[in-house]
Amino acid sequence: MSAENDPAQRVAIGISFGNSYSSIAFTTGDGKAEVIANEDGDRQIPSILSYVSGEELHGGQAKSQLLRNSKNTVAYFRDFLGQEFKSIDPSPCHQSAHPVDHESSIAFKIQDTEEDKENTVTVSEVTTRHLKRLRNSASDYLGKSVNAAVITVPTNFAEAQKTALNKAAKEAGIEVLQFINEPVAAVLAYDARPDAKLADKILVVADLGGTRSDIAVVASRGGIYTFLATIHDYEVSGFVLDQVLIDHFAKEFLKKHKSAGDPRENDRSLAKLKLECEAVKKALSIGTSANFSVESLAGGVDFTSTVNRSRYDLLANKHFTAFARLVTHAVEKAQLDPLDISEIILAGGNSHTPKAASALAYAFPESTTVLAPSTSPTAINPSELSVRGAAIQASLIQEFELEDIEQSTHPMVTVTPHLSHAVGVLCISADESSGIFNPIIDAETPLPVRRTAIIATPREGGDVLIKLAEGLRHIKITKPEPKAKTEKEPSSDDDSDEDSEEEEERREKTWKVGTVLSEAALKGIKKGGKVEVQINISADLAVNAIFREVGGKGGVRGILQGGKTTQNGSA
Amino acid sequence: MTSVQINLPLPVLPQGWAGEKDFKSVGQLSQANDRNIEPVGPHFLAHARRKRHKRTFSEDDR
Ligand SMILES: Nc1ncnc2c1ncn2[C@@H]1O[C@H](COP(=O)(O)OP(=O)(O)OP(=O)(O)O)[C@@H](O)[C@H]1O
Ligand SMILES: [Mg+2]
Repeated sequence: MSAENDPAQRVAIGISFGNSYSSIAFTTGDGKAEVIANEDGDRQIPSILSYVSGEELHGGQAKSQLLRNSKNTVAYFRDFLGQEFKSIDPSPCHQSAHPVDHESSIAFKIQDTEEDKENTVTVSEVTTRHLKRLRNSASDYLGKSVNAAVITVPTNFAEAQKTALNKAAKEAGIEVLQFINEPVAAVLAYDARPDAKLADKILVVADLGGTRSDIAVVASRGGIYTFLATIHDYEVSGFVLDQVLIDHFAKEFLKKHKSAGDPRENDRSLAKLKLECEAVKKALSIGTSANFSVESLAGGVDFTSTVNRSRYDLLANKHFTAFARLVTHAVEKAQLDPLDISEIILAGGNSHTPKAASALAYAFPESTTVLAPSTSPTAINPSELSVRGAAIQASLIQEFELEDIEQSTHPMVTVTPHLSHAVGVLCISADESSGIFNPIIDAETPLPVRRTAIIATPREGGDVLIKLAEGLRHIKITKPEPKAKTEKEPSSDDDSDEDSEEEEERREKTWKVGTVLSEAALKGIKKGGKVEVQINISADLAVNAIFREVGGKGGVRGILQGGKTTQNGSA
Repeated sequence: MTSVQINLPLPVLPQGWAGEKDFKSVGQLSQANDRNIEPVGPHFLAHARRKRHKRTFSEDDR
């Protein structure tokens, strides 16, 4: 391969490779990411391979083989890459080829040739075959041979897993330009929209996938992203949601056909149930009811039924509540308050379910925007967020030398000091107890940074004081006023009294003035004039500020020495 | 980044305030925390370029 590593010869795409589904996308000439459908017309391509008399089936076709050919069907293998057998959870593979311990890695025993014998196929080889199929689909669509990609991975994908994936991709003819973290890909997919405005905010990416859920709290500062906390959970997943419906329909079936036996106790019947229940679950994301229909479900009995969305919501409620709890835990882990979260981006296939979004909206204040198909008409398809982000990143770096990319992603470049408190000005009064702090640069902003603020002045203009300070975010809690007209004792210790309390306590985000940094005087501001403050903070915490009247000449410049840094030695 | 708009007025300069060239430094920023920024997106690339070539924001603007 002579084209290898030659940026000029690259045809790069974005790939999201999940345990359940994979997607491929490319970026068009005008910078828009487009998700590619494979030969079957699927944009969410099951990460499954199946072998029927030596023929390899992939994606949706392989998935249907879970019914009759499960032993030669390999599924849910991504997380096994680069792992040892003793550290994996094989349970997602119960109804497909089982992973086995093989030469300190993991393999599947499948009959993948015409010959009537089982071969040991490593997870690395399975991954290569899967990626080859994705690559071919993309090449067919684009009409040129794809040879490079940005691939998304979960934030807890270990170095050994990345190394294994890199190798498997290489075997598939794909040069991995970069691995990027799934939640950041999701944020990038949103930020790359043409109407997106660059704003400093804290957001959460909540990914409810097929075998796991992953939560990330991300500081977004001037388009640069920093993780403040991540959480991974393997209990709350699409699997348990499917199980809710499996149990529901199995019970319905047993009510009517007791003698046919429990479809959950027979492999073939269970496989049918599972496939149909996943389809029902998807249908309930759009419709308020869905049909279930399986021929010969158990004991040769056909079964059709329907389920309402409200019923599903009720049955699955505890899982959605658990999902919301994961998100609040992640916020706590980041030492933040729900009021600090501007947006929650819902990602992963199960985020199509309206209840996933409403459970989060319920757990967070109204000021938090929940971005999901059911809550926002402009939400991006949660199943496509990762791959879109990957395609955008691919287009940004595809002309770089690999060495350049490696240098830029090295800790020398990425490890960066972040402000521990917001920096801003005091308004109304220069007195720290009565002045109102207004942030100009938020906490957790990476350095160096430059920000500008335009600030109002007293009505008559004149001489003003500009006091720069650190601000400490404070959550102010206001207890509701005891109601005057009520007959009850205000200090009643009766429990039922608290329950009947109509008004909840009010929580709001306020600021306390911390360390004062500097004072500057600007004189003779004209009536109605505004003041522009530009603050530069360097990596060593030196502050360089410029204060001037908007449209005026001159101005004041001030420099604060840095000094206190954590450059050497860890905290 | 667009500038931050602050609609509350700045305080009036107190009588007798004095500072050399109208500026007075009072304190220092608190220690920063070292964190890993994600090497993704156009703004990161600009950051990496500045860092690797030891350029400032205004040099980068030119
Ligand atoms: N429209 C939909 N409505 C509800 N659930 C859906 C929908 N589309 C996909 N899902 C579910 O989403 C899950 C797959 O999500 P996703 O594609 O994000 O998974 P993944 O990243 O491959 O999986 P994993 O978390 O296992 O690595 C499955 O449980 C699937 O049933
Ligand atoms: Mg996933």
